[in-house]
Amino acid sequence: MFDVHEMEVNFGPQHPSTHGVLRVLLKLDGERIIDAKPIIGYLHRGTEKLFENMPYPQCIPHTDRMDYVAAATNNLGFVETVEKLMGITGQIPKRAQIMRVMLSELQRISSHLLWLATHAIDIGAMTPFFYCFREREQVLDLFETYCGARLTLNCMRIGGMPDDLPPGWLDDLEAFTGKFEAAVDEYESLLTNNRIWKRRTVGVGVISPEEAIEWGITGPPLRGTGLEWDLRRAQPYECYSDLKFEIPVGKNGDTYDRYLVRMAEMRQSNRILRQCIPMVKATPAGDIKAKISRVIRPPEGEVYHSIESPKGELGYYIVSDGKTQNAYRLRVRPPSFVNLQALPVMAKGHLVSDLVALIGTIDIVLGEVDR
Amino acid sequence: MPIERVKPGVVKVVPRKLSVAERLYIPKVVAGMLVTLRHLIHNLLHYKKLPIISYPEVKRVYSERFRGRHILTTREDGTTRCVACYMCSTACPAECITIEAGEDERTREKFPVRYDIDLLRCVFCGYCVDACPEDAIYMTRDYEMAIDTRARAVVGLRDLVVPPNFPVALEKKGTAGGTGLGQPIRQAPYPDEAPPNPDLYRGA
Repeated sequence: MFDVHEMEVNFGPQHPSTHGVLRVLLKLDGERIIDAKPIIGYLHRGTEKLFENMPYPQCIPHTDRMDYVAAATNNLGFVETVEKLMGITGQIPKRAQIMRVMLSELQRISSHLLWLATHAIDIGAMTPFFYCFREREQVLDLFETYCGARLTLNCMRIGGMPDDLPPGWLDDLEAFTGKFEAAVDEYESLLTNNRIWKRRTVGVGVISPEEAIEWGITGPPLRGTGLEWDLRRAQPYECYSDLKFEIPVGKNGDTYDRYLVRMAEMRQSNRILRQCIPMVKATPAGDIKAKISRVIRPPEGEVYHSIESPKGELGYYIVSDGKTQNAYRLRVRPPSFVNLQALPVMAKGHLVSDLVALIGTIDIVLGEVDR
Repeated sequence: MPIERVKPGVVKVVPRKLSVAERLYIPKVVAGMLVTLRHLIHNLLHYKKLPIISYPEVKRVYSERFRGRHILTTREDGTTRCVACYMCSTACPAECITIEAGEDERTREKFPVRYDIDLLRCVFCGYCVDACPEDAIYMTRDYEMAIDTRARAVVGLRDLVVPPNFPVALEKKGTAGGTGLGQPIRQAPYPDEAPPNPDLYRGA
């Protein structure tokens, strides 16, 4: 029954470290967390239902608004799923494929930079925030030059890409990738061996590989436990099978290892981008769209397709009745939502101040959790 | 310790152990300060290259492809290019475009009697520009769309239509002070619009 030492506290939904409108119902014993229950739904917009009532191409701008810090990967997952449903995956021109990979790797960098900046500022390290946002700004400038928007990109179309790369874009990208490695070194010099950082992250929120699989965790939190599972390698899509990259894994499955994994992932994304530049130069300019009909009416059937978004496995499940231009049922499998379910497992036994580190380390975006 | 009161098996306590090298606090503090100091000195020496825009005085110029506020272009003779075909409002995922078509008595050509874009509904996806068969609607680099009442977010023909030979394609490098294209949204109250209800702000 009721224990006089236990206290229930609402953490959020307006708390600045909950990264949006997440509410965590904490059961505390003093400062120690006995139970943490995430309560979500404050940002629910009924995106899936919206999708079922509009033609497929019109859904793409709405996918931007799920994980709004990683719009390009949301676009990629959606257009690939519809292409798979229509059976035109093989018809996508090589140039469009490489451009998609470039945009999604840039998006991975920008998402991880935002994660690092906010995670560090939550824990108390203010300085990395400014340096992370300096580089993120350059990535957003690249997006803006390509597609005209900085966050809600709407930068992919079913069957290809909306537009060819603008002149000079590849040079800007090359200049960015040349400088980025040194920038990651700078963030790491501030954090990786910092005693305060390690005291706040090492051993906090440990999750074992078995638990991670049980909870369906994907992305950096899964790889932080030591499992080498990355959909870019496990189920290669676009031209990832032609690219050389490593999958960074951790060992202990704690907050510090997830930090190391994401830092290494940024370096690997940079490496992929550097490989993509000569590849895209070798393809004919303007060959960015498969020849498909303007009206997109996929055949009857159902399809599930998932990609590796910066936060984990982002999957779309579409049921088409073959008669209309919109999906009969569309379900999104968002990585943030699934990864958030492991928060109680991670948080038990830790202090309230560690919860801030844990919410940061899962890297949730509430727009995607609630949809 | 409060931990002793917690039921056994509920709490997973994780020990935190650091090596001697990591426990040395001072060297990393100095290293962190060095990074900050290096940037401070570098920025002081190159203060003119700082990525800072003194915003209302100096305006940021976005790229040619920037998806900002819409315009409707006109032909050489001053008539609007739009033929009220409803392609843009059909393609619009936010359903923010309202068109009413009229017919020219002489030329038997359709033209918009009413063309409203609700800028608060618009998601700036650019589908209307893609859909337009007449190259009538464009998006500009104008990003300043602040308004003081909701009704003014609905812009009509008089705000959207630009004169002939309006420079739609811009050179990439802009100068400080210019925002690009669109005309400013009218700030004077529309004559047919009721003044804001002062009771709304009194808090009853």
